[in-house]
This record gives sequence, structure tokens and C-alpha cells, in this order.
Amino acid sequence: MNGITSSTLPWYTSRATGVVALVLLTVVMVLGMLVNRQGRLPGLPRFAVTNLHRNLSLMAVVFIVIHVVTAVLDGFVSIPLISGVIPFTSGYEGFWLGLGAISFDLMLALIATSLIRGRLSRRVWKAVHWLAYASWPIAFAHSIGASSDLQSGLLLALAVGCAVALAAALAWRLVSMAREVPRAERVSAMLAAASGRAGKNRSLPSPDRNRSQPGPGPGDPRKPTAVS
Amino acid sequence: MSAPQGQVPGPGFGPDGLPRLLPPSVNVPEGLRDHLARHGFVPYRNARRQLIGDLEAAGLTGRGGAAFPVYRKMAAVAEAGGHPFMVGNGAESEPASNKDMSLLWLAPHLVLDGLQLAAEAVGATEAALYVHEVEAGPLGELLRRALSERWSARIDRVLVRLASAPPRFLAGQETAMVNLLNGGLALPTYAAPRVFARGVGGAPTLVQNVETLAHIALVARFGPRWFRQVGTAAEPGSMLCTIHHADGSARIVEAAIGTPLPELIGADLGPHGLDGGTRAVLIGGYHGTWVPAVRAAELTLDNAAMAASGGILGAGVIAALPANRCGLAEAARVVRYLALESAGQCGPCLNGLPRIAEGLSTLSGPRPSPEVRADVERWAGLVTGRGACSHPDGSARFVRSALAVFSAELRHHEQGLCSAASQRPFLPLPAEVAVRDEDWS
Repeated sequence: MNGITSSTLPWYTSRATGVVALVLLTVVMVLGMLVNRQGRLPGLPRFAVTNLHRNLSLMAVVFIVIHVVTAVLDGFVSIPLISGVIPFTSGYEGFWLGLGAISFDLMLALIATSLIRGRLSRRVWKAVHWLAYASWPIAFAHSIGASSDLQSGLLLALAVGCAVALAAALAWRLVSMAREVPRAERVSAMLAAASGRAGKNRSLPSPDRNRSQPGPGPGDPRKPTAVS
Repeated sequence: MSAPQGQVPGPGFGPDGLPRLLPPSVNVPEGLRDHLARHGFVPYRNARRQLIGDLEAAGLTGRGGAAFPVYRKMAAVAEAGGHPFMVGNGAESEPASNKDMSLLWLAPHLVLDGLQLAAEAVGATEAALYVHEVEAGPLGELLRRALSERWSARIDRVLVRLASAPPRFLAGQETAMVNLLNGGLALPTYAAPRVFARGVGGAPTLVQNVETLAHIALVARFGPRWFRQVGTAAEPGSMLCTIHHADGSARIVEAAIGTPLPELIGADLGPHGLDGGTRAVLIGGYHGTWVPAVRAAELTLDNAAMAASGGILGAGVIAALPANRCGLAEAARVVRYLALESAGQCGPCLNGLPRIAEGLSTLSGPRPSPEVRADVERWAGLVTGRGACSHPDGSARFVRSALAVFSAELRHHEQGLCSAASQRPFLPLPAEVAVRDEDWS
């Protein structure tokens, strides 16, 4: 097997899309944690991080579909199409391909619930979304185990890089959770931060500087006032 | 029953048939006996849905601020099946509004009649009246007594529980209210599922503002034709307004929808709105819009007229800002309050409103740099439509109108000047802010 020919094209495509999918899934995971903790990327507004997370996850699925279909089309080994979604049905590398199928199924559940998120309760959506933390390690195990590609050389370095990036993001997420400001205190904290950024507030010269006196508006807005 | 006025008999004290809701003797709560003498017994229909057709013909819309057709909400709850829950929403969270409190204080039985009739129409078996801080105090005492009187006189068919709303701006928001009645904090949640499908205790829930309930009680008695005798064809009936005059006085007025604004704010606007007494008019409260005094002099009290100028009527707050006050300073105070009243749940609101508030505060000071205004406008655009509730949208609407209406003042500030003679705060704002979760319960 040296060089891409019409018979080896599916095989090369399958391997390449698999590697790209692993990288994409890692990025999606990191972005997901960023979204969850309301983190930012330099130069991007927060909602753009959310959009990037969503779009890259959909793109990863496209790569995984190509990865599965080309593996099936490849005549060198025989893998039934059904093994892409039903685990442990392939004669070839049954265990490792089974892990891939499990991981893919979990991703489909995540995406399906996200597409109908408006109709689900937040709790259900969130519970399903937690499955991402199971899906990624299973996909990673599949990547390492299913072929020898990622077991040496540059691709091994890439796989290790993905794992390190994910571990770092996870550590950051946990630290950030521990430091979380309680909901009731968040707004005043943000306001204090904003006024710190804007510098000390100055006031204009005016004939009437008496700020402490209450205005001539109605005193207590909760008390019934005169009616006419 | 009161003397007939106009073509169709019904209550009303003036030549124009108003006020309808408020009792004749001002500032004295109307007791059960007087209420029954004036309006007669509660006209139960003894069947579900009977009243909904009348309310559709009357064209009554919700008076809590959203002006949503009452019959549609009721039909949705009635069709949802099960045992619906009925809530009268009197949590008037807007600090500048006082009409619901006044109505509950002066005519509690009219509101409670409406609560029973609406509950019957949708087949509700349980009901609550949700009002700000009624564990103690005179209003809570009055409502508790009214409810027990009605229950022992067998006027009420559905038992009404009195629920106390925390003093938060968002406490009156429908989903926040449902959360509180379900034993949680009064925080707004995601819109889906809507409360008419799944609200208190998971039951389909009908929420109507207390003024709306009072109108329902009158439509049930006097019919849609009577109801349409005042107001415009598109927006019939009357509404309660809280008017803040430029001289600092405030009053509650029941006005026909479509009334010219100068009639309500009186001489403040002058014949052409140019008498110098009023700088601008805030319409619709702190989620509403500022209108220059000249423009306000041409407006009428209806949503059609307000929509044409990009505003909303909301819950009927109309505040005339005196000419000696700085509109930017007032807007900055209000937006700071709005930012502090954010539930702190959605990113755009939590991150956006404090920045906008700080930007406005800079603009209300001397020599703000020109990019601050552009920043505030951009942030106002960024937060719109992106919260679980309408708090960011309403706040952004208020900010945009302030920047537009006070743009001449802004140019003064850029030169280090302010045209206001007084820095005393004008618009009413509560002193305390939420710091703990309990402040939302």
C-alpha cells in the first residue's frame, strides 16, 4: 500500500477524516467548556464562541459520517454499514469499532437534543449534554485502538496533544467552577468591574449639588397614593 | 347597581363614564357590602368558557403591560385540559407604577370577582393572588380579610391563596411568578413550556394582571357593548395610569384608551409642549421609551400611537421629566437599577447591562469621549432578544430612546456642560438591591 489509487482512496479518506474528526471533537469539547463557564476567546464575542461550538460539532459529524462510509466502502476489510451505529457488529476489529459506534451514538443524541432544545426542559437537555464527557474518551480510545496510525510518530504527538488540551480545559473548568460567584452576587460584581474599567465617575458642575436629598417624586412607590 | 350612563347601562361616575374601576369615594377601600350594593352579585356563568366569547367581543387586552388579548390566553388554558391554576398578578414591580396597588387597596372585591370569574371560565380549581410583600402591612391585612369574608359568605367558589412577591423588578414576570408559587426563587426561566401549558404545580396556568381581572368582572356584568363605549375601536376600554407630573406630584388616573396625552399630564406640556416646564416624557415605565415633550403633546394613550413612534404603553406609567433635570443623569440612575435587578442568569443581561449602565453613567458626566455613546448603542443592540425574559430587550429600548431624545444634552456634556439646574433625582427608585438568594424569595 504505497500511494493513493482508486482502490486505496476510501482507506486513506477514512483514516484522514478520522484524524480530523478527533481534532474537531477535541476543539468542540474545549469550546463547550468555555461556553459553559462563559469564557471568552480573544477577539470573539461570547455568542460567537457558542456558535463556533455548535458549528464545529456539526462539522465533526460530517467528517465522522465520511469516516464511517469510506471505511465501509473500502474493500480491503469487510465492515457492514450498520457497525457505524450499532456497536460490536463488525467482524473486523469488533471491539475498537464498537467503541467508535458508541461514541457516535452519544454524539447523535447530543445533537438531536440540541436541535430540539426549545421544546425540551433545560434539565433534560443538560443531562444529555453531559454525555459528551463519555463520548470523547470513548472516541479517543477508538482512535488509538482501531488502527496503528495514531500509535507512533507525528500522529501520536497529535493524539497526545488532543488529550493534553482536553485535560487542561477540564482542569480550567473545575477551577473556574470552584471560583464561581453565587448568582445573587454576580450582578453587583459585574457592575463593580464595569465601573472599575470606566474609571471613577465624575460629576458635572451644577447650581444644585445636593444629591443626598430625595427627589420630589412619590415617596414610597409601594404605598397607595392619592387618586383623582 | 350604579345609575346607567350612555346608551348601555353600566358603572361610571363622570359624564364620560369614567372611572369604571375605582370606587366613588377616593382613598377609602370599598368593603364587601358597598361593593355588592354598587355592582350586584358575582355573575357566575355556571359553565366553562361562557365568558371567553364575551371577552373576545369586548376586545379586552391584558393591562399588565403586554396588552395581549385576554380571550386568547384564557382559551389556551381552557383547551389545555386538566385542572388549571388561576393567578391574579398584582406584583407591580415597576417602581414608577402604583396603579395595581391602588386598585387592590381601593376596590379589592372587584379584582377578586374577576379572579373567580376567570377561574370559572377556564375551569380552574385552585387560585392565588400574587402581590408584593403582603405577609404583613395594611394591604396584606385588607386582602386577607376580604378573602375570608368572601369565603365565609360563599361568594368565592375557588379558594384563593395570597402569595407574597419579593421586591424585585422581575418578580412580576410570569415565569418568575410560577417559580415562586412552585416553592422556588422568583427568577425568570426559559419560555418553553409556556405557563399556560405547564405552570403552577405543572398545571396549565392562567395569569392575568389584577386590573385586567377588574375589567373582566365588569365585562361579565355589563357586557362587551358597554365595555366598548370608551376607548378606540382597536383598543377598547379604559386603563389605569400612574402619572408623574413635572412638579413632583403623582396620581393614579383611569383614562379612556386614546385620550390625548396632554389631557393626562395637564398643563405640564403647555399648548405646544414648549412651555419649558417639561423636558421629556417617559412612557411605559423603565422598559418604556422617552419622548421629547413636543412630540408627547401630539400623542394619544394607545398602543397604536405608541408603536408608530417606536414605543410601548406598557402598564401605563407616564412621567414628565421637569426641564431643570438632566435626562442623561435620570437615565443613568434607572439603567443602573435595571442592571442591578438582572437575575444574573443569562450572559447578555449579566454582562451587558452593567456595561451599558456604566457607559450611561460616563455619558451623564463631563466630557465623555465620543466613542462611549457608540459603545452603549452597540451593546444595547447586542443584548436585545437574547435573554430568557424580556429584561435586556426592555432595558435596551429605554437606553436607545434616552440616547436619541437627550442627544442635544449629550453634546452639552461633551463640551463639559449640563443644562440641568438641579441634580436631585426625580424618577422613583427603590433604595435596596438584592444581594442574597433569599432576596428573590
